[in-house]
Amino acid sequence: MSIAELEAREIALEPGQGGLWRDAWRRLRRNPGALIGFTLVGLFVVVALFASVIAPEDPRFGDLSRLGGSCCPGPSFDHWFGVDQQGRDVLSRIVFGARFSLLIGVVSVAVGLSLGLVLGSIAGYMGGIVDGIIMRLTDIMLSIPGLLLAIGIVAMLGPGLFQIMIAVGATQVPIFARLMRGSILAQRENDFVLAARAIGVPRRSILASHILPNAISPVIVQGTLALATAIIDVAGLGFLGLGPQDPSTPEWGTMLTDTTRYLQTAPHLAIIPGVAIIISVLGFNLIGDGLREALDPKLRGRG
Amino acid sequence: MLRFVVRRLLLLIPVLIGLSILVFLWIRALPGSPATTLLGERATPEAIAAINEQYGLNKPLHVQYFAYVENVAQFDFGDSVTSRRPVIDEFGQRFPATIELAFAAMLFSMLIGLPLGFFAAKRYGGVLDQLSLVASLLGISVPIFVLAIILKFVFAVKLGLLPTVGRISVLINIDHPTNFYVLDALLAGDLEAFWDTLKHLILPAIALGSIPLAIVARITRAAVLDVQNEDYVRTARAKGVAPRTVDTRHILRNAMLPIATIIGLQTGLLLSGAVLTETVFAYPGIGTWLVEAIKARNYPVLQGGILFIALVFVLVNLLVDLSYALLNPRIRLS
Amino acid sequence: MRTKWHWLLPLLVAGVIGLAAGCGGDDDEEGTPSGTTAAETESSGGASGGTLVFAGASDPVVLDGALVSDGESIRVITQVFETLVALKPGTTEPEPGLAESWEPNDDGTVWTFKIRDGVTFHDGETLDAEAVCFNFDRWYNFEGPLQNPGATYYWQVVFGGFATFNKDSGAPEESLYESCEATDATTAVLTLTKPSATFIPALSQQAFSIASPKALQEFKADEGTVDADGIFSPSGTFGTEHPIGTGPFEFVSWTRNDRLVLKRYEDYWGDKAKLDELIVRPIADNAARVQALQTGEIQGYDLVEPQDIATIEADDELQIIDRPAFNVAYVGFNIAKKPTDDPKVREAIAYGLDRESVVDNFYSGRAVVATQFMPPEVVGYADDVPTYEYDPEKAKQTLTDAGYTLPVPLEFWYPTDVSRPYMPDPKRNFEAFAASLNKSGFKVTAKSAPWNPDYLGRANEGTAGNLRMLGWTGDYGDADNFIGTFFQTPQKAWGTTTKPLTEIQKLLNDAEIETEQSARESLYQEANRKIMTELPGVPYAHSKPALAFTAQVKGYVASPTTNESFASVSIEE
Repeated sequence: MSIAELEAREIALEPGQGGLWRDAWRRLRRNPGALIGFTLVGLFVVVALFASVIAPEDPRFGDLSRLGGSCCPGPSFDHWFGVDQQGRDVLSRIVFGARFSLLIGVVSVAVGLSLGLVLGSIAGYMGGIVDGIIMRLTDIMLSIPGLLLAIGIVAMLGPGLFQIMIAVGATQVPIFARLMRGSILAQRENDFVLAARAIGVPRRSILASHILPNAISPVIVQGTLALATAIIDVAGLGFLGLGPQDPSTPEWGTMLTDTTRYLQTAPHLAIIPGVAIIISVLGFNLIGDGLREALDPKLRGRG
Repeated sequence: MLRFVVRRLLLLIPVLIGLSILVFLWIRALPGSPATTLLGERATPEAIAAINEQYGLNKPLHVQYFAYVENVAQFDFGDSVTSRRPVIDEFGQRFPATIELAFAAMLFSMLIGLPLGFFAAKRYGGVLDQLSLVASLLGISVPIFVLAIILKFVFAVKLGLLPTVGRISVLINIDHPTNFYVLDALLAGDLEAFWDTLKHLILPAIALGSIPLAIVARITRAAVLDVQNEDYVRTARAKGVAPRTVDTRHILRNAMLPIATIIGLQTGLLLSGAVLTETVFAYPGIGTWLVEAIKARNYPVLQGGILFIALVFVLVNLLVDLSYALLNPRIRLS
Repeated sequence: MRTKWHWLLPLLVAGVIGLAAGCGGDDDEEGTPSGTTAAETESSGGASGGTLVFAGASDPVVLDGALVSDGESIRVITQVFETLVALKPGTTEPEPGLAESWEPNDDGTVWTFKIRDGVTFHDGETLDAEAVCFNFDRWYNFEGPLQNPGATYYWQVVFGGFATFNKDSGAPEESLYESCEATDATTAVLTLTKPSATFIPALSQQAFSIASPKALQEFKADEGTVDADGIFSPSGTFGTEHPIGTGPFEFVSWTRNDRLVLKRYEDYWGDKAKLDELIVRPIADNAARVQALQTGEIQGYDLVEPQDIATIEADDELQIIDRPAFNVAYVGFNIAKKPTDDPKVREAIAYGLDRESVVDNFYSGRAVVATQFMPPEVVGYADDVPTYEYDPEKAKQTLTDAGYTLPVPLEFWYPTDVSRPYMPDPKRNFEAFAASLNKSGFKVTAKSAPWNPDYLGRANEGTAGNLRMLGWTGDYGDADNFIGTFFQTPQKAWGTTTKPLTEIQKLLNDAEIETEQSARESLYQEANRKIMTELPGVPYAHSKPALAFTAQVKGYVASPTTNESFASVSIEE
């Protein structure tokens, strides 16, 4: 979380300018790292969207007779990734797991982002007491390590997919709020804002049409990187036993933690979801990196 | 300077008060109740009602809160439900464990990350540079618990090179005056115990250190790249100062500033990571303590523990800001 | 940062995938022993008996038998303390303990115990009838928080109430206990308020451990504080630093969350312990316990999970020791909640639970399918209870015949963060049951909560949905301790109205006061048949729990009730 936070803070200090987006896209296309990132994420998204077509079986369908009294048969022609402790096809579970990870990741980032942006914009634009209160609130939230905060929220709301999204989203609120506030503060003193203000453009309209668009690029970078951390955090919660309530839900973190007990006899059960998590996170990190470089005005014209 | 410190310390007060209220309310919002925790497997509704009545758990919230604050002001954080020991004692045992682990992880990440980042920058675009970028990318992309499980499985279970759990072998018996076991072993002058405690730290430290390693390497590389092109470095080179002297006196010294800041900012990350690392290695630190407490509804531990952690966390952040200010004369304290 | 380095990425991705493939390849090694280096770090035992390091799942709570009911505390208490009545090792059969013999009067209300001569406590005090009565009087006179059912569960189950009655405490008013009198140094006379048949085997429980009166007083065993959250914590040091009993091991030290050290008691009255030292170390994580055993950091642990048994058995350096099956795992119903209030639905559930597959696949061949709520060894077991084979079609048919539209929704609860002898991996059992119910015309909604306190709280209050996963390990060998515990008194766990169970309750009440053994047996058999007809739940397994040790450990005799002495254990090279 913190590398993303840090870099986002770095970028936030750089004011955006016109033509930024076209420029960025041009450079992004030339960045092989980002392209690999897009490929991985694209694969991830395709698998998630077409899970029911790709998966050979229902991810919840189990047949205990496949176990033959022990745990658990490894990869075979019928079951490419083997069979899990309930006699289910691991490949199907990984494929449907992509859907859950993507869903949880996107929704929780959306929760964190929208709340964070609203709070940050208000704080940055209003200043004064409002700013003080909001910033103290983010201080309080940031004073509890992120994962503990998420665990605490899940403990309070009870286990479940929805609750996990809220919990992971909540840990990202203060980061987005601070980012947005910093960004807006930087924009507020910009020439074009001062100019707009001087000619009497209303405050709300300055915020909407001048400040926000320019402040948003660091948020996009941060959002991409936040997707990566969200996937890790969700898996981490699952690993700590705070995953979705229905244990047959194919969630990668839960799959991993449920199978560490078979590590000695069936290591593939733990390693396959582990690798799935790594690949999807890697994808978002690569895109995030690429975007950060592409949108970084300092790097323009270089390389 | 003094005004800056005082101002920052004053700012801590609302944060801590807000936090204590939030933690207090959060604990009351958890499902279940202290009475069921106390009675456990044998709870009957009558007994639960009796406990609530007897110990004032049915009093208004604000009354309970002020009673709690009064106790905290006297450094009484109550007793752990599961062990029935004072929370403050348990903290004294658990906290050094996590600090030791976090320190080892930080040490690992700097020992590898600093040289990696430095040489990557020096050989900009070379193989080492690419390696450092890949390493740092992997470092932030591989979840700590996945790495920890793999390390434990390979080095402890399959190869049997290192211990799998805990902080010290059970047959080694030394006094623990500080609860920093490595330090305790040294104080006891017991080399075997010293080596044993180190062996217990290696795998958890590598797992926990993987993320800061990635960050340190990345920041070092970026910082060195930045500094390398500064006028004073070019001047020094032009003057004919020996390359090694330029590296150490000019480049490294100036690159240390952002690196130091980054290291300070890792505290929260390390604490989050410690929860997972400690779980994998059954390491008796703060992380496992709080996770167990949440699962067991160990209210006193949660209340006290989270306040402690938050306090440590905000103090470290304050120290980072201060040291940053001290290191960089260009920053005005206001 | 935009450099040529990105060509490495495809390699990196390939590497990650390769890693997966490589590790998948390890499956070929399935079943081969992995702890090849296990013996290397093994401590050398020493000729005189050596040190055994045993892993518990957590720290004991406090070493005072009267005040605990958790297995980890009881394990240690069993080594340090003894009871008047002991159990023959490996069985549930009572035999003389600190009492050499006992004799009731004609109506079974006055029991005379002959106390063993020449027994000393670890502090040098002599055990006499006076000391025994001191202990009984201590328990009977518990006050305040100590009357809490959570603190003194076993006393309340066996003897009921206390000297003073406090209606807020949750303890019953009446007590079976009247008095204890030391008529001479070796004779203790226990007077009861009414006849009791179950109280002699019950005295073998660690809750009735005889402690040194001097130590109890000196180290203030009964004193403690109650904090704002209602937790009683002893302020005295009896249960934490000075647990003084007569057992084969005496207490040395206890570092919380690290180790508890016991050593051989040299003046023990019977066969002295073979080990010099016994260290109990808490390791919460199961996988960590297995690995610690393989690397030799510990020499034994309890409750081996089924999936580890094959690994351990295949390892020449390690061994598995069986604990006799003395438990029952069951799926309990809430018979007051729709739709499980309908007997037809309960019947359909019984047909829809694939108990055979669960027992066959998840218990490593160490369990049998249960037909009733108590194990076959216990008197009162009935061979002719109604049985329900897994049959999804029959389940659906039963439901449609009763006028239900399929699927019928069920809320099914399971506990997390727990492993019990009768359900080593509750979640795994749950998943299989949920799947088989879903195939049988039901639609299961899964709900979970951490075992203690959330899950147990819900189970006890009857708020754990329609179905819940639970089980029970016997404390002593009597039907009263199984079906009596579940059904004799109405409990919210089975539903707010347990009217359908009234007949069963009556049978159990009659059985308890019946002193004629065969009449008692047939009453319990009748109750078992009735229970399996009424179906307040479906029992599914009696499991044989396993302990694991390194191969050098000899002489360990596992007790069905899980409380065994380490005195006979030795380490042989």
